[in-house]
Amino acid sequence: MENNSKVLVIDDEAPIRRVLELKLKNRGFQVLLAENGQAGLDIIKTQKPDVVISDINMPIMDGRTLCEKSNGLKKNGSFLTIIITARINPEDLDWVVEMQDTVFMEKPFSPSRVVDAIDQYIGDQG
Amino acid sequence: MKFKKVGIALFVFILAGVVIFTQILIRQEEKANTREIYYIGNQVVSLIALYSINDFKGDKRDFIIKTLMAYNFYQSLVYCFISDQNGTPVVSLTPGNIGIEIPNYIQTKSLAAMGLTRQPFKTMESGDKIYEFAKPIFENGEKAGTVRIGLKLPLISIISMQRVSLLAMLSFFIISAAAIVYYGFLHALKPLERFSGNISNRAGGSAAVSNNAAKNFNLAPMIQSFENAMVQFEKRFVKIETNNKELASRISVLRFKKNQVIHILNSINFGIIIIDIQDNVGHINDYMLNLLNMERPDVVDHPLEEILQYPEILSFVSHHNRLENLKANGHVDMVFPDLALGETFRISCVHLTDGDHGVIGKIILFNNVTGEKVAEKATLEFSAHLSHELITPLTTIKSYSEMLMDGEIEDHETRKEFYNTINSETARLSRLIKDLLNLSKIQMGSMSLNKNLVKFDSFFKDCLAAVEGVARKKNISIQMSLPDNPPSLVGDKDQLEGAVINILSNAVKYTPEKGRIDFELKEENNMVVFDIKDTGYGMSREDMSHIFDKFYRSNNPQISEQQGVGLGLAITSEIIYLHEGEIEVESELGHGTHFTVKIPKGEYYLGK
Repeated sequence: MENNSKVLVIDDEAPIRRVLELKLKNRGFQVLLAENGQAGLDIIKTQKPDVVISDINMPIMDGRTLCEKSNGLKKNGSFLTIIITARINPEDLDWVVEMQDTVFMEKPFSPSRVVDAIDQYIGDQG
Repeated sequence: MKFKKVGIALFVFILAGVVIFTQILIRQEEKANTREIYYIGNQVVSLIALYSINDFKGDKRDFIIKTLMAYNFYQSLVYCFISDQNGTPVVSLTPGNIGIEIPNYIQTKSLAAMGLTRQPFKTMESGDKIYEFAKPIFENGEKAGTVRIGLKLPLISIISMQRVSLLAMLSFFIISAAAIVYYGFLHALKPLERFSGNISNRAGGSAAVSNNAAKNFNLAPMIQSFENAMVQFEKRFVKIETNNKELASRISVLRFKKNQVIHILNSINFGIIIIDIQDNVGHINDYMLNLLNMERPDVVDHPLEEILQYPEILSFVSHHNRLENLKANGHVDMVFPDLALGETFRISCVHLTDGDHGVIGKIILFNNVTGEKVAEKATLEFSAHLSHELITPLTTIKSYSEMLMDGEIEDHETRKEFYNTINSETARLSRLIKDLLNLSKIQMGSMSLNKNLVKFDSFFKDCLAAVEGVARKKNISIQMSLPDNPPSLVGDKDQLEGAVINILSNAVKYTPEKGRIDFELKEENNMVVFDIKDTGYGMSREDMSHIFDKFYRSNNPQISEQQGVGLGLAITSEIIYLHEGEIEVESELGHGTHFTVKIPKGEYYLGK
């Protein structure tokens, strides 16, 4: 499947970045990687990805702050944000509904499901 | 003549009785009416105050008003005013239809009150006694309005069926009693009259008459009955006296018990305020006085709202109804930054009843739950962290194995990399579980040390072997220093080795490439001392204060990017304490870290 969409993966755990990178590249996505929220935000601003996949618990800038900051950038052209988190308490994620085009997946996650979510979003966008 | 006087006296007596009795009846009825008005007023005003102020503006308004009017108190309800916080009337009802003027001071006090108030006043024109009941309407812990109702004491008519029949009954009893007493008295006096006649005859010296009289009148039985009566009186008197003493001792026992209750209330380590039905403070214990920083005379008999100027508490207490006594969650947690900084108090409320069914007040309890809150938070943080630490390697294992199973990895090298990662993440998971088991063993006190003589020449080598590989990869040099005659101590070799390896591997982990680690072993004051010094990233003051906390991970990216769960030093310090040793740490951001571990040598007897 040929695909020009850019996907940014933000996670402080190297194995998670690696597996998502491989899965997405296999599907023809262009993959960008970042180790924390701040690095991710910089890439969002410069590279304008179509999809951002982010963890929540990260050093320097956590996923929530990243979402809140990048939500403002969505006015000029929205993108899908997928939050992947180990948080057990669903109330901790109440803020997600406030965000534009943002969904969350619980860890342990399935890479195929992540790709399905992206495909669906891109399909909806036409 | 004599009968006429008795008759007049009797008539006056009955008349006075009737007047006094009527007065007593009227008073009693008034009292009963006032009690009823108090009861109705308190209930109705509390009931209305349970509604939200918007209910009186919206669709429910008509329903509420209709329901109010349907009640029995209709005849005594003179007015009902509900106003919002700005004093703007929302509901104005005057079913009493009397143009009464409510004195300004009544209205002002009612509108300002934060609790239930009751104020009596008399109307200017008719002189009717009106009671105004007022209660604030709270919404979201803040005062949103006030409900005021005026109730009138019903008129007491002097001539009522009940009263006339009671008077008739009373008159009948008085006349009957008077008649019985009169005739009984006359009858009882007859023998005495005869007796006194005899005595006077005897004094006159007529023996014949006297003999005759003695035949007719025998004195002995009468004296006997007098004596019997006297004995009975004396017995009764003694009994009354005993009863009196008993009563007095009971009173002092009760007083003692009351004082005891006050002592108990004062020695309890939570705050207690007891209020009456009008929200006035009846009792406050020492703990609460200390918390409020107030003196007893400034509190007792004062309205609660004066003492506690916290709308949340006043709203909670005012809304607390009896049914909530049974609910476990009937409480509000609050902090008082101005009274006790950083402390959390759990405020609960219990209804005080008179033993029958009537509510006579409320007991408000202030329990300091700061400790519980801290423990609760720590438990939540612990489980959140633990689940995170367990789920992270699981996520890697699941996603990597899914990729392999789906045949997404065709390249041989990558497949190998994936298997390796799954393997190392499984090891990470099992290490974590092992650490957790160790930690819980230590915390439950079930960790036992397998003590033996530990010789340090081999110990030293084992520790080094565990970290050498990583150190070499990072080009970190480890300088060892061991005395010529290495010391030995009594301890658990495996556990001690684990503790020292932990510190060493932290040093390797948090020291950048080409760094240096000094590992020295020496003996000092009958203690074996391990000195581990590195040229690593060092720690901030904030990190230093948490390094022995479970699951603590620094925010410093140089440290947090290294793998670790934050259990190592928690376990290490516990192992050292189990050996009755000490662990010290010195560190400065950017200037490396220095750990010193001291373990007492202990005594070892050969052949033990």
